[in-house]
Amino acid sequence: MKKILALVISLSFVLLTAIADAKPIVIGVATDTQILDGFATIRGLNLAVEEINSAGGINVKGEKRPFKVEIMDTRDCEPGVPVSEALLVLEKIILDKGADFIIGPGRSEAALAALGLIANYKKIQLLTCGGLSPKFHGTIAENYDKYKYAFRITGESRYMVEEAMDLLGGLNSKYGINRMFVIVEDVAFARAGGEIASENLKKKGWEILGYERYPAGTSDFSAGLLKAKDAKAQILFVMGEMAELSILINQWNDMKIPALPFGNYLGPAMEPKFWQVTKGRAAYTIVNLVNAGNAPSNATPWTMKFCKAYEKKYGTEPEGYGTSSGYMAPYIIKDAVERAGTLDPDALVTAMEKTNLVGVYGRVRFDPKSHQIIPQLDPEKGAVGTIFQWQDGKRVVVYPPKIAMGEVKFPPWMMEYWKIKKK
Amino acid sequence: MNILVYGLINSLLLVLMALGFALAYSVSRVPNFTHGALYVLTGYLTWVFLNRLGLNYGLCIILSIASVTAMGWLIYQLTVIRVRGMPTSEIIVTFAISLAILEFLRWRGLRGATYVLPVFHLSTIHIYGVPVDAQRIIAVVITAVIVLALWLFTHYTKVGLGLRAIAQNERAALLLGIDSDRAATLALSLGSALAAIAAITILPMGNINVATGYDVLVSAIAVCICGGLGSWTGTILAGFVIGFAQMIVVYFIAPHLAMVVALAAVILILIFKPSGLFGRQKELEERV
Repeated sequence: MKKILALVISLSFVLLTAIADAKPIVIGVATDTQILDGFATIRGLNLAVEEINSAGGINVKGEKRPFKVEIMDTRDCEPGVPVSEALLVLEKIILDKGADFIIGPGRSEAALAALGLIANYKKIQLLTCGGLSPKFHGTIAENYDKYKYAFRITGESRYMVEEAMDLLGGLNSKYGINRMFVIVEDVAFARAGGEIASENLKKKGWEILGYERYPAGTSDFSAGLLKAKDAKAQILFVMGEMAELSILINQWNDMKIPALPFGNYLGPAMEPKFWQVTKGRAAYTIVNLVNAGNAPSNATPWTMKFCKAYEKKYGTEPEGYGTSSGYMAPYIIKDAVERAGTLDPDALVTAMEKTNLVGVYGRVRFDPKSHQIIPQLDPEKGAVGTIFQWQDGKRVVVYPPKIAMGEVKFPPWMMEYWKIKKK
Repeated sequence: MNILVYGLINSLLLVLMALGFALAYSVSRVPNFTHGALYVLTGYLTWVFLNRLGLNYGLCIILSIASVTAMGWLIYQLTVIRVRGMPTSEIIVTFAISLAILEFLRWRGLRGATYVLPVFHLSTIHIYGVPVDAQRIIAVVITAVIVLALWLFTHYTKVGLGLRAIAQNERAALLLGIDSDRAATLALSLGSALAAIAAITILPMGNINVATGYDVLVSAIAVCICGGLGSWTGTILAGFVIGFAQMIVVYFIAPHLAMVVALAAVILILIFKPSGLFGRQKELEERV
């Protein structure tokens, strides 16, 4: 018994030493670490790296290698979107930190600008959050040979709008709701999302009563909210990630605007702390979290396992967009590297395109031309989104139906104003 | 009615934000570019006292205002006094300190939407059918009280009259035995206190973040330049002009042009009346 124990300990020591000595595979995270998407991604990623390294690392043709994470703040989500600074950081993380894989940057403007740089250095890029503009994967598809190293492992605004259409269509069938006012942050992805949603819903017979863009730093949304009220909107379609959108929700509740806020990406409202921060004024706000796993649900057997591991490590539920995709990034890289057996970028591109892995937010597969993760409403078939509603202090998943844990509710002042009843 | 009510509120909030900057400049002729940073610092300190030390909210407010006032005093005594009279250096020094404060707060993790201060009263009041949250009404009342208090201070107290004397004619005031440096120190400290009061009043409506520091500085400068650097009456009037102009643009044109209004106002004033609506600096050049 003692001999067996000694052998096990020696082998473990050798294994650990081998991993410790093995050249690490560097994941370079170039993202805005000051916003939720950024630091949630980093937390998810670090959790995955910890799990993978403690399980032995990545098997690269028989050699076990650990992951190493290098993080640099691009500040690309600041007002004015300093793209040039983000690109400098990206270049530094590649040249100085020796990154083998790149995560980020977040803002669409920066992510699009980064495609060229990534292509020059031939680094596999995984966009785990942000870069929601459809132009990202559109650009890859149009110039495949040049931009093939970039992959998006998260949703994008066009598909998020389709999910929103589906949920809103459901509200229309059930309750006769069909009047919408759009308020978006004045950034590329939000403008695109707001425009696409407006066009699509108009075709389905909805009335789009207004469209307003607010820049980062706005401290008063009264004009837009009062316009929505005067126009008798029933849905307030919101898109953006600036912290000031919490003021919008507070004012919406204070003014008792009889329209349901639908945040098809509403950055501050994603966090578990948002309820406390708004002193409960977030109640009834609907939020699209983009990927399952960013709030607890049973999308796949891995989803709750991830949520619990995250809560154990960080003392909070997954915090919002970027968490589950940040977590999945190292696993997707590991899967591709082990199948390719090499870190050669062209071989990795082929391996990534053949990814077929059931992860935290469903089956991970990529469109071979655009490298966009394939979305589905069924987690068995593709990557599943999550839309939740704040109800009684909890983030209750209400969409897609396959993973929903509750139904959409309306604020009492809205029910009274519109005399809402199920059809 | 929406435009009138919220235009009035937003104008007064602009005035509240700008008063500290106006006071500091009018007396000391020092453009205090730390104004925005001190505003955010007040919010952060209050948050720390409240959430990390568990102190009573009222006590947190008093401690924050006192700390930031002291900081204003220190900034003048340790740095600005050495470059007083050299306008470019004054701007560089104060802006550098502002950057240091704001980036320090960013490094300390001031980010996201979760750094918030509680509102003084959670309720909604209807003014001619327009719903307004109580915190905004309280902010309007506080602004009015501050303006009145400043007026009384500068018209009926010895110290206040001394500050006015320095603001009107520094050399004549010196001849009368009023210490210019002491007055400047007091002005900067009071200006910092006013920035702190603005922060305590306005920040509970939203959240505390680093970018606000730069926004507040730009707004304060825009209001003061339009009103006339050194003129408190001008500051108040310019606050209303810019506040209502912004509200009209937001309502009838587009919300994302609100900041453009403030900056356009600065450009127009500098072209047509560089001294500002009530300012006197360049009056002679304008007449000539």
